[in-house]
Amino acid sequence: MILSKYPYLVQQEILHNMEYTDLFLLSFVSERMKKLIKSSQMNRFKSIGSIVYHVDKTVQPCVYIHEGPFNKTIIRILKQKKTENDFQLNVCGKIINFRLRKETRNENSYPVASCDLSEKECAIQSIHNYFLEFFGSSVQYHWKQNLNQKEEYYIPAIPQFQNASFSIEMYLKCGFADMKNLENFFSSSPVFKAIRMNATRSKEPFNPKSKFYQTESIESQQEKHTFPDLLRYFQGKQAFIRCGRCEILNLIEFVNKWKSGEGFQKLEYLEMRICYHEVSQTQVLNGIGPKYIDASKQPPTHSVPKLFRCYVSDQNTYPIISHSYVVRESDNRVASVSIQETTFFFGVWNKTEEEFLRMAN
Amino acid sequence: MSSTEQGTSSAAPAEPTTAPESAAAPEVPESFYYVHGKDKVVHKVSAGALQHSALIHGMISNLGYTEEQAKANPFPFENIDGDILQMVVDWCNQHKGKPTPPEDTNLPKQKEKLFDLVLAVNYLEIKELLTYCCKQVAMMVKGKSPEEIREIWMIPTDAEDEAAEKEAKKRAGKEAAGETAAAAGDAK
Repeated sequence: MILSKYPYLVQQEILHNMEYTDLFLLSFVSERMKKLIKSSQMNRFKSIGSIVYHVDKTVQPCVYIHEGPFNKTIIRILKQKKTENDFQLNVCGKIINFRLRKETRNENSYPVASCDLSEKECAIQSIHNYFLEFFGSSVQYHWKQNLNQKEEYYIPAIPQFQNASFSIEMYLKCGFADMKNLENFFSSSPVFKAIRMNATRSKEPFNPKSKFYQTESIESQQEKHTFPDLLRYFQGKQAFIRCGRCEILNLIEFVNKWKSGEGFQKLEYLEMRICYHEVSQTQVLNGIGPKYIDASKQPPTHSVPKLFRCYVSDQNTYPIISHSYVVRESDNRVASVSIQETTFFFGVWNKTEEEFLRMAN
Repeated sequence: MSSTEQGTSSAAPAEPTTAPESAAAPEVPESFYYVHGKDKVVHKVSAGALQHSALIHGMISNLGYTEEQAKANPFPFENIDGDILQMVVDWCNQHKGKPTPPEDTNLPKQKEKLFDLVLAVNYLEIKELLTYCCKQVAMMVKGKSPEEIREIWMIPTDAEDEAAEKEAKKRAGKEAAGETAAAAGDAK
């Protein structure tokens, strides 16, 4: 069977029915084939949401495409010894050993790039460059590192990838005392797209000017609301905080700082769930001096797409439907405020007060 | 739904025999058309089954043939092998008026047969069958290494592609030179 004897449209249809991992391998057969894949699958590649490098402590990325309810593995990069069945591929000028692997009988096999520890970083970089060229730069590339190793804390190396966003999951165990190194890690890394963290206590707080606070989305489970002190220093867009206790005065201070325009300029959404006590609605509202939508009107619902999703179903922020709102003095932007038992919700609208009130029916 | 004429080797179609209709007789009598491939074996196919083929459907929709005229004028598909056309006709009959399932497991497993079937189906513009066939072709290289894929689909190496390109350029150059010389000769 000679593939090139088929008309272009037939070749296109065949390629369209191939898994990404098979297309990736096919692209190494010849330059002409790579060009054909790129030109005929352009629209398909453009519709790829994101390519994720999922990395654990061993930094052996599993690279997958998140599509529908499944993650489709394209490749894994592992530290492994050479075997007889390996084949070599030239990936952006670097010769890398590959083998095919299948986890289960029903699963599709995928290539595993095997390399020594000393070559790993270079191999990962070459593979990323190949993806950029092959899938294109319109795809979102995401490095997702899991530091959630309870037994031992370590600071990872984040690759200098082009066109990529980065997220980490981290666990700061009780008595954490390596703040200097952690701060160095944040200052030398790109601004993170997302951080999920579990923080107990530390001997030192985060530096208020830490790059950590610039992270676009932080999901934090923390013992005290001041470590990290997101209510004071967060500079990103979305914060999901779950903490043991929280001073109501800090919530009031947070809202008033936002109102004055002194901080939280980029904030879209903040959620504070307090585990051990309820949030006094009266106390908070008295402290922030909100305005109210006419009680006879239905307030608009505030909900924004989550910048970082743990689960497929977890697409949007919790819908805030509240008559209470506050207005930022500097630009007349509005934020809906809602307090429900143990949770404080704050949703910023990209609307002026007049526009916001027109949305209430 | 159809009958196959074991055939005549002449261009004129043989007298087809009609297989009994298995389904309940339709209220309006169904019209039939006739096709043959390279082997001249004539296949009688209902218009309903032929609707799968955009090419044939387009051809017959404006003809308004009577049964006799259709019998006398089978559509010749000289570029399609008889056994391949038989497969196509069978598929069209099996899926006549039915929603097509997501997969078809009855496609040929042999590479060459599948290759010819794809070409025929593409020519006849049978979209669903083409999709099945292309899926099957794609499956052939699932989980294979680049070298194994090269072997299965006979993909030339970069060096072979380059050599073929050079050869093509050389040939084109020679042909152009020949045409120029011929034009100069004519002018004299």
